Amino acid sequence: MHYFALLLGPESTSAPDPDAQAAEMAAYEAFHAKAATAIRAGDALTPSSTGVRITGGADAPTVTDGPFAESAEVAGGYYVFDAENLDEALALARDIPAAKYGAVEIWPIVEYFPPSKPLGKSWLALLLEPPANAHAPGTPEWDAGITQHQKFGAAAGDRTNGGAALHPPATATTVRVRDDQVLLTDGPYVEGAEVANGFYFIDVGDRDEAVKVASMIPATTVELRQLMGISGL
Amino acid sequence: MSNLDGVFRREWGPAVAALARWSGDFTVAEDAVQEAFAEALRAWPRHGVPDNAGGWIVTVARNRALDRLRRESVRPGKELAAVLDDIRARTDRVDVHPVRDDELRMMFTCAHPALDPTSQLALTLRLISGLTVAEIARALLQSEVAVGQRITRAKNKIRHANIPLRVPPAELLPERTPHVLACIYSVFTEGYWSTAGPSAIRDELCDEGVRLAGELCSLMPDERDAQALTGLVLLHDSRRQTRVDADGTLVPLEEQDRSRWDRGRITRGLERLQLAAGARGPYLPQAVIAAIHATAPSWQQTDWATICVAYDRLIEITDSPVARANRALAIGFRDGFQAGLAALDEVADDPRLARSNTAASIRADLLRRAGRRDEALRWYRVALDHNWSGPAREFLRRRIAECAADR
Repeated sequence: MHYFALLLGPESTSAPDPDAQAAEMAAYEAFHAKAATAIRAGDALTPSSTGVRITGGADAPTVTDGPFAESAEVAGGYYVFDAENLDEALALARDIPAAKYGAVEIWPIVEYFPPSKPLGKSWLALLLEPPANAHAPGTPEWDAGITQHQKFGAAAGDRTNGGAALHPPATATTVRVRDDQVLLTDGPYVEGAEVANGFYFIDVGDRDEAVKVASMIPATTVELRQLMGISGL
Repeated sequence: MSNLDGVFRREWGPAVAALARWSGDFTVAEDAVQEAFAEALRAWPRHGVPDNAGGWIVTVARNRALDRLRRESVRPGKELAAVLDDIRARTDRVDVHPVRDDELRMMFTCAHPALDPTSQLALTLRLISGLTVAEIARALLQSEVAVGQRITRAKNKIRHANIPLRVPPAELLPERTPHVLACIYSVFTEGYWSTAGPSAIRDELCDEGVRLAGELCSLMPDERDAQALTGLVLLHDSRRQTRVDADGTLVPLEEQDRSRWDRGRITRGLERLQLAAGARGPYLPQAVIAAIHATAPSWQQTDWATICVAYDRLIEITDSPVARANRALAIGFRDGFQAGLAALDEVADDPRLARSNTAASIRADLLRRAGRRDEALRWYRVALDHNWSGPAREFLRRRIAECAADR
């Protein structure tokens, strides 16, 4: 089955040190080589200062430019894994360099729609919901959501390029590695806050167009972040 | 009827484990075994308990589960057929009778570290020990609704996040076995240390903690930490009858009637300790401390030097401030109460102790023994302010009265 790994960590505000940056790239390349057979997609995200958040729903969207001050831990990257079970997904997560200084949330995916075109520097639209709004598959609320997403899919056409729906937050697991010890916690990294509930890849020419498409997504909040296009995955 | 209770208690865990393996779903397993027990309650008083009660339960439960899947499935016929084929394929592959490996699988899945520790405990008590949600709620001092939701959420996570029902592969065992041990130990400690809640439930949890630890030893005979854990719970449990008096007040070890300690459990605990030599976890040093107390002829003739060494080892493994505070007391008996107080000063400000009364009550005890009654009185009052459990409060009040009278 598929799992979504959301990489969270403190975002550096100073200019990056080239040596540290090279070391980090090497660590990620080593991870990609090791986990090649399980990784279906993945990339780093451009800094949150270049992203936007859209709230208020498709009818009355409010757009806020990043960075988003309320959280110290910022999404810095993502992966989609194809793993046999949660143990395998957790074994992959602990090898992600971000687990050592930040945290990796592992979310079981309800259904994964793989991108049909290369992602390059596409946009990741991360759907965020308060935990009470994150419904389980099979509930009437879930079914109602599916209908809305089908409408969105029809309206967005080929401007979306794959995506996924996630199971509710009680099924998530947070992975951190400190002093070589793996620390697991039941649930998302930040309790009570809005949590990941799904995502779309948006394949458009510029940021304004991406905001336009993301504003139509039926979700409490959409965080729109451009992919760095550096993973080569 | 009590005869049937015994059968149910013995067969519940293995039957749920067998059904979980067979159906691949914990809720299906739990519900089906529940129905099979209800059926047994009707059939057995009339026809007698079958020779293979466990096999009977599993067979009935499996049929009930199939009935229910057929009845409740709203999926198109084709999908239902696929579900039944899948289940049949599993049934053909495996024996329907409970096998011991099923229980071990259940222990590892219920104590999976991706589940919150309290959920691990609740799930273990429900699916392996067969306690009802109401009983678990009483044991954990939580509402039935909260415990019910917790168990449902944990089962949903197992299903949707696909936590495998299995004994982990060898390379994962060193990091996963400690979670199973910790979960079993918390079954015991919820009964033994938590002095709140009704005593019948506490006795049941103690018994169950001892039983599960013993089960784990027979399922993983080479696991030395499991032997150490079993030794530890047996040695603690040998004092169960003497640690609370007729009024429900906590009786300190020093004042317990040693002739009433359970010799059988002490002997079995010491045997486990032999098998635990070389264990690396936190249970062996704790079991050593319990063994020294269990075998000392009196409080005065207790081998405090060895107890101090065991605490040193425990602190090396766990870095626990509670262990450091208790070590200070042992040092007080080995080297004098002044030395004990000095050792306590080194840990008393640890922020991890801020919400506990451990340091205050140990300080009060050392001061009282050193003859510094006024200071002892003050610290007993601090400890009392921090303590919410009935029997322990009674004990602290008694000490306060003693110190006040001696002034």
